[in-house]
Amino acid sequence: MASTHVTKRAKYKTTIKDPGTPGTLRMTFEKILFVPHNPKSAGKLDVEFRYIKGKKHTKEGSNKPPWLNLTNNQNGSFIFEFENYSDLQECRDFVGKVLAKGGEVSEKPTVAYPDEQLSAAEMELRIKLLQEDSELQKLHKQFVLSGVLTETEFWATRKKLLDREASKKTKQRLGFKSAMISDIKPSTDGRTNKVTFNLTPEVILQIFAEKPAVHRAFLSYVPNKMSERTFWTKYFRAEYLHSTKNSIAAAAEAAEDEELAVFLKQDDILASEARKKIRRVDPTLDMEADEGDDYTHLPDHGILREGSKEMTESQNELYKRSLSQDINRHAAVVLEGRAVDVELEDTKAVAEALAQSKQKSSNKGESDGDTSRERLDRLSRMTEIEDLQGPNTLPLAPLCIKDPRDYFDSQQANALRSSGDALGEIEQIKCGLSTQEVYGSLRESISSIKAMGLKEPIVKPEVAHQVFDALTNSISNTKYHIGKNPQESVLDRLPRKTKEELLHHWTSILELLKHFWASYPITTTYLYVKVNRLKDAMSNIYPQLEALDAAIQHYEASMQKRSAQSGERPNGYV
Amino acid sequence: MKFQIEDVTVFFPYDYIYPEQYSYMIELKRALDAKGHCLLEMPTGTGKTIALLSLITSYSLSEPETSIKLIYCTRTVHEMEKTLAELKLLHNYQIKHLGPQARLLAIGLSSRKNLCVNPTVLAAENRDSVDAGCRKLTASWVRAMAAENPNVPTCQFFENYERAASAAVLPPGVYTLQDLRVFGKEKGWCPYFLARHMVQFANVVVYSYQYLLDPKVAGIISKEMQKESVVVFDEAHNIDNVCIEALSVSVRRQTLEGATRNLNRISQEIDRFKATDASRLRAEYNRLVEGLALRGNLPITDNWLSNPALPDDILKEAVPGNIRRAEHFLHVLRRLVQYLRGRLDTENVEKESPVSFVASINSHAGIDQKTLKFCYDRLHSLMLTLEITDTDEFLHIQTICDFATLVGTYDPILQLSCHDASLAIKPVFDRFQSVVITSGTLSPIDLYPRLLNFHPVVSRSFTMSLTRDCICPMVLTRGSDQLPVSTKFDMRSDPGVVRNYGKLLLEMVSVVPDGIVCFFVSYSYMDGIINTWNDSGILKEIMQHKLVFIETQDVVETTLALDNYRKACDCGRGAVFFSVARGKVAEGIDFDRHYGRLVIMFGVPFQYTLGKILLARLEYLRDTFQIKEGDFLTFDALRQAAQCVGRVIRSKADYGMMIFADKRYSRHDKRSKLPSWILSHLRDVNLNLSTDMALHIAKEFLRKMAQPYEKIGGSGRKTLLSEEDLEKMGDGGMDEMLY
Repeated sequence: MASTHVTKRAKYKTTIKDPGTPGTLRMTFEKILFVPHNPKSAGKLDVEFRYIKGKKHTKEGSNKPPWLNLTNNQNGSFIFEFENYSDLQECRDFVGKVLAKGGEVSEKPTVAYPDEQLSAAEMELRIKLLQEDSELQKLHKQFVLSGVLTETEFWATRKKLLDREASKKTKQRLGFKSAMISDIKPSTDGRTNKVTFNLTPEVILQIFAEKPAVHRAFLSYVPNKMSERTFWTKYFRAEYLHSTKNSIAAAAEAAEDEELAVFLKQDDILASEARKKIRRVDPTLDMEADEGDDYTHLPDHGILREGSKEMTESQNELYKRSLSQDINRHAAVVLEGRAVDVELEDTKAVAEALAQSKQKSSNKGESDGDTSRERLDRLSRMTEIEDLQGPNTLPLAPLCIKDPRDYFDSQQANALRSSGDALGEIEQIKCGLSTQEVYGSLRESISSIKAMGLKEPIVKPEVAHQVFDALTNSISNTKYHIGKNPQESVLDRLPRKTKEELLHHWTSILELLKHFWASYPITTTYLYVKVNRLKDAMSNIYPQLEALDAAIQHYEASMQKRSAQSGERPNGYV
Repeated sequence: MKFQIEDVTVFFPYDYIYPEQYSYMIELKRALDAKGHCLLEMPTGTGKTIALLSLITSYSLSEPETSIKLIYCTRTVHEMEKTLAELKLLHNYQIKHLGPQARLLAIGLSSRKNLCVNPTVLAAENRDSVDAGCRKLTASWVRAMAAENPNVPTCQFFENYERAASAAVLPPGVYTLQDLRVFGKEKGWCPYFLARHMVQFANVVVYSYQYLLDPKVAGIISKEMQKESVVVFDEAHNIDNVCIEALSVSVRRQTLEGATRNLNRISQEIDRFKATDASRLRAEYNRLVEGLALRGNLPITDNWLSNPALPDDILKEAVPGNIRRAEHFLHVLRRLVQYLRGRLDTENVEKESPVSFVASINSHAGIDQKTLKFCYDRLHSLMLTLEITDTDEFLHIQTICDFATLVGTYDPILQLSCHDASLAIKPVFDRFQSVVITSGTLSPIDLYPRLLNFHPVVSRSFTMSLTRDCICPMVLTRGSDQLPVSTKFDMRSDPGVVRNYGKLLLEMVSVVPDGIVCFFVSYSYMDGIINTWNDSGILKEIMQHKLVFIETQDVVETTLALDNYRKACDCGRGAVFFSVARGKVAEGIDFDRHYGRLVIMFGVPFQYTLGKILLARLEYLRDTFQIKEGDFLTFDALRQAAQCVGRVIRSKADYGMMIFADKRYSRHDKRSKLPSWILSHLRDVNLNLSTDMALHIAKEFLRKMAQPYEKIGGSGRKTLLSEEDLEKMGDGGMDEMLY
């Protein structure tokens, strides 16, 4: 079917509900022409194909009539109802061919290209990025949908954004609450002695993270041995016993109830974790190592002091847990941050996810080559006395400027203005001099050079200093102004709409230029085609820019007139 | 930079030097030239350690023929690591400028626990178990057995080290404990024995005080150090206490019970040997007749802590006849334990001099002084003979023998606890040419020579020249409700005081960035106050601003808490650390830079004055040195307080605030005992503040500190000197520049 056009009978509808205007649909490579049978009716249509962005159609076998829906770039749509499905088929194929020919135009911004096997996840990421950044979306729409750039080309320059890790990192994760678990206070119903605890998955995660023994118990007991409800009841029973600070009673209860004892005992997992962690601790504060050299604090050596360890040999010691321990543990967990990133709904899921993440981190801990390296680095950094030597590059996180325009724009604008100011001053000085004077001074200096030869510093230090000063001044000025008035820039003097338009053109030109120069040297025909495409696109923008330019000039002229009327000199003479 | 002090070219690894570091070096050099001892106080945060290290190493470089050995004593292992890290920096610098001639060997020495790389031994929890675990694998008889029976486990690392024999040496360089472990692992040699072996060749040895002061340890490790060594005691403000503890033993009921168990075990062993290998016991008897001078011949692994009495005090004579036989010795020990148990049953506190105590032992248990003296060595010999390797089980009987030997050796001064700090350090002063005692707080500086009984050739206290007022001490006397705050005995449990202290901290956490450190007067007080704050919800509010970490009596937990505290400060979260004056953290952990922008000292850290031992010591000090009890207690309390707050400054670029929260600090007699570098910044208007005023001052101070400033120092006095400055300074010009 190499025909250059298709002609079919069809009804043209503006909306689905519209009964439609019967007529003839004629499609060529360039345009779509619909002529109603009744020349008086208003349904005449003449659309160029390049405005058509997508097509939809009903399927054969569905109870809908054979419709072809063409969408244009203004999101308007043209619906044609055919007499039968074979007509629809033919037209659809033709439209598909034309659309494919007219550039790699896609139905949706997310459609995959044959040259690029995209996974669904990657696709999703791209869509998400586009949704998050309206600027990007605009650009994408403008260039990819119009076929100036292909999807791949567009994203190739934005690999960083696509870097999953990077995009993940920027997302801030919620940490644990600063409040302690022991702050969970029960509510009473006021009549009986019954108390009720409200446990949210959030709280449960915190309990699991701070008390690995409880976590382990949960994994092994629930739901095989006891229900989740009994589990937490027991837990709070234990907490209550603990809060009474009566270690004897706690010991007694623990002796009777094996499961309760789990909650009351010292956390053995914590203890073993601590032993592991202590090996990785900063050696400059490793007090545990001191014990190795401390021969006077052997049991019974040295002087007994107030506050030194009381040797209580009672079994109850096992059931004592100090508030300090709890606080330290809590702070450590908060500092570590949340390891689990699942949606918190089910306790069981929470418990398992935590167990998994622990497994991972312990595996990571095995290979602690880097950490010891890092520890040493830190140690050597710590030993240096900072102000006795030159500045040190600190391991700071790189500054992440999301929208560089926020920064450079104001910077540039201010630099422009202040340098303009400075120029103005110089001009003023110059204006004070007549031509003769200038000439005279020049002669003078030439003759002095003739007489005395070139002096050692060709440029006088004072002059150099002055120039230098002026330069630095303008730079520091910029800084000063930025702090004072971050919004002010040249653009801000323009009406909002114009500004946006201008910026948009600016970004699109930038994008095009980026691709344009990236295509050099033009070695393949593909690149050649691309460069041409880019050139065309740019040439499309230029007239628009020129128009804008004229508009701005007009605007400024009127502004000037207005300000002249009010008797003021414009301070920013351009 | 490189500069000249008289005839010595000093290599200093930084581009600039503080003037006080420069004058510190000059004084130090004077002491080295005079071959005498010296006492130097210089505020924390002025780089004492690096000044000291670079002068002494440069000094020995300038006189290559007389190789001076530097013995650098730190109080703790982490300070050891820090010192070695600074030395490494210096050494790299010297190598860069001098080439291979600047090479030196510097090692840190610590116990097996910190140096062992054998994973099976290292699994043990404490030092004694690690020691015992090592002996089980490396004792000479174990190795002899292993030679016959391959199933007897030995230590791979030690065997390799032995096999390498004289080839097992450390190449020149600076080795921290970590480096030693890494080196040992790489080569497959035991780092502990390698380090022990290398001590005699090293130019710089860094180890704990106790390796020199505690005769038990010094006897085996420090005996080969030559006279020309320079000994440095860094952070030596507590040196008197260390000396005292080294010679003190206390015996408790559990100790005696343990000792009895140990004796039973020994008696079983003796019986076993009698049945199987009686010749060993006989050989031991013969050896003992000849005397105890057997240490030199022992294989290195069989060494253990040597006699607790000082080397010269033990006579080189034969062991008394009545304890030469193993059974007899056992009986003597049983009688001794029995006697001590009887003594422990009393209800009253009894103070007795060793002389009368020994007399009483003699009459009640029939053990004379000479026998007591030899108890420790005799026990050692017996345990070697019996091939006992699990020495950690035998700590109790060791303590008893330790006690017996000490009691039998010293005459009038020792009463269960030692009161005379000069006893332990005396051999050090006698043996070594120069001993340098230095710390940030040695005020009043004239007290130390008296306490330690020595005559320094140089004794000097340096002030600190600050580029800006980077420390801000304040005395807070009243809470926000204008009621006085204090930890005085009658006020400390007052809920108003506790609340006011809590409010103070709460206000401060909301304005001070990064780290805050709080010191309390004791563990029990800290526990109490934290519980009260927890109940009243103040703690919860504090936690909204900063994470809270607490020092506990468990060292592992405290270390982890500290590590987390630093992480929290590093990441910008900010944290508060609760600690105890006189605790381990106060002794040795730095809270410099963002790790401590504010220290709050809650109360005055007086010693527990009702303690019998303290009273006895005070009495001793009064009688011997005419030091008044009150004076000594105040001196002691304020040096602790100064020590606590002094940990916030590391350099002149650093800044920090210090709040002394107790009304007693405003009194002149207390305050004046603070070191001069704090006093000089304590303005009169800051002497009597309430919480709201302190908060205002804190805000002002922090704002001021955030401004950029000229590091070199303003007009007039320079607080940083460059190489040219030093060159310009003639001898005459120097003084005007510095002071």
